[in-house]
Amino acid sequence: MAEEAMFDFIHMEAVSYVFQGGEKISEDEAISKLEHMGFATGYRLVERLTRESGRYKDELDIMKYICKDLWVTVYKKQIDNLRTNHQGVYVLHDNRFRFLSHMAAGKQYLQYAPRYLAFTCGLVRGCLANLGVTCVVTAEVTQLPACKFQIQVQRG
Amino acid sequence: MSRQSMRANDPKKVSGELFTLTYGSLVAQLLKDYENVDDVNRQLERMGYNIGMRLIEDFLARANPAFKLYLGVSPSIGSWSPGGDEFSVVLETNPMAEFVELPDHCLGLRYSNIMAGVIRGACEMVQLEVMAWFIADQLKGDNVTEIRVKFVKRLEDAIPAGED
Amino acid sequence: MTIYNLYLFDRDGQLLHYAEWTRNKQSGMTREEEAKLMYGMIFSIKSFVTKVSPIDLREGYLTYTTNKYRLNLYETPSRFKFILNTDVHAQGIKELLHQIYTQVYVEYVVCNPLCQLNKPIESELFAAKLDEVVKQSPAYASRPA
Repeated sequence: MAEEAMFDFIHMEAVSYVFQGGEKISEDEAISKLEHMGFATGYRLVERLTRESGRYKDELDIMKYICKDLWVTVYKKQIDNLRTNHQGVYVLHDNRFRFLSHMAAGKQYLQYAPRYLAFTCGLVRGCLANLGVTCVVTAEVTQLPACKFQIQVQRG
Repeated sequence: MSRQSMRANDPKKVSGELFTLTYGSLVAQLLKDYENVDDVNRQLERMGYNIGMRLIEDFLARANPAFKLYLGVSPSIGSWSPGGDEFSVVLETNPMAEFVELPDHCLGLRYSNIMAGVIRGACEMVQLEVMAWFIADQLKGDNVTEIRVKFVKRLEDAIPAGED
Repeated sequence: MTIYNLYLFDRDGQLLHYAEWTRNKQSGMTREEEAKLMYGMIFSIKSFVTKVSPIDLREGYLTYTTNKYRLNLYETPSRFKFILNTDVHAQGIKELLHQIYTQVYVEYVVCNPLCQLNKPIESELFAAKLDEVVKQSPAYASRPA
């Protein structure tokens, strides 16, 4: 379906906007703007998704929901692998992440890859925030188009 | 909004809303970044232009009506100018603005201005220089969303260097 | 059947990509000069043909064949020009070029935010996919030893 293309293109423009947006801002600031947009999107998106899907058993259950339903809705595939240390750290492996899959197979453009993960880090954090889980989400790429997202749950 | 009720949480439908929500977050960011609403409008148009240039390729590779394909709605075309060089694209509903209500201090914002840019960018890629601008917007209380498109000129292939 | 080489030009006549599969002789000039000649030749042929042709030529696909080779030009509505030189027996080149446009160019250039549309293509993935598609085509596979 082509509405996906609109999402891809608007994300593309959001990234290029924060990085070329006239005013000189640091890489960190630009990344944080993207993260923020992702958060706002994820927070509202999950509301539209989970309206009737009921409560989740526990934190792991919520993570499984992120890996399956959410990922399929947003990225048209499931997360390939979910690992946890059972102490609030979850690592989500996507072997072919949508925003990287058209870019490279290997290390070309590796230095730009983090720019295309920031929105998604925010998206995941926003979804989880709305489901009552406060966390920090970071991402890592060593070889495109694979990447992993690490979710660190903040307990307080 | 009468359509809200029927679109609860069908994941397919939500996937279409993803764009709408992402776009909303982007506009919110722009409003934060720029003091002047006109700058936001201009930036949105420019982003649309960039998108249009890529989108047209995606579109040509699929060959389907574009609005239906990308926004899930079919606009009507009409109000041709006597010279036949200007017309309107009319949307009964604007899926991009689905969850939006403009706050008072944003009345000058042309929320969906990116669409005008998309039309301009896409046309340019197929050798048509056009102008596109909003003349009616449901977010501002109009009955429909209407974009006016004016043909400027036909672009030709570049002549090879060293010839004329 | 044999596929020789491919040139991809944008509408400004800029060479965006060049690839070759079977080429026994280089032209002895730089790639830029060669590309300029190729674009100039195509441009001239097209404008001449448009002037003398009794019918409207809007199809976007044009070939000419000499007794030694065939030049295949596939032009997208956005005026990107894909030029593929093959031997005179190569079949299914129009389909191949369409496939290169929709499945390689659109997928790996248009959908790659790091590729600017008006700059020579640097993506290695694009080059790899192009090579793959060409090598899988019947016109390539059945080439004589």
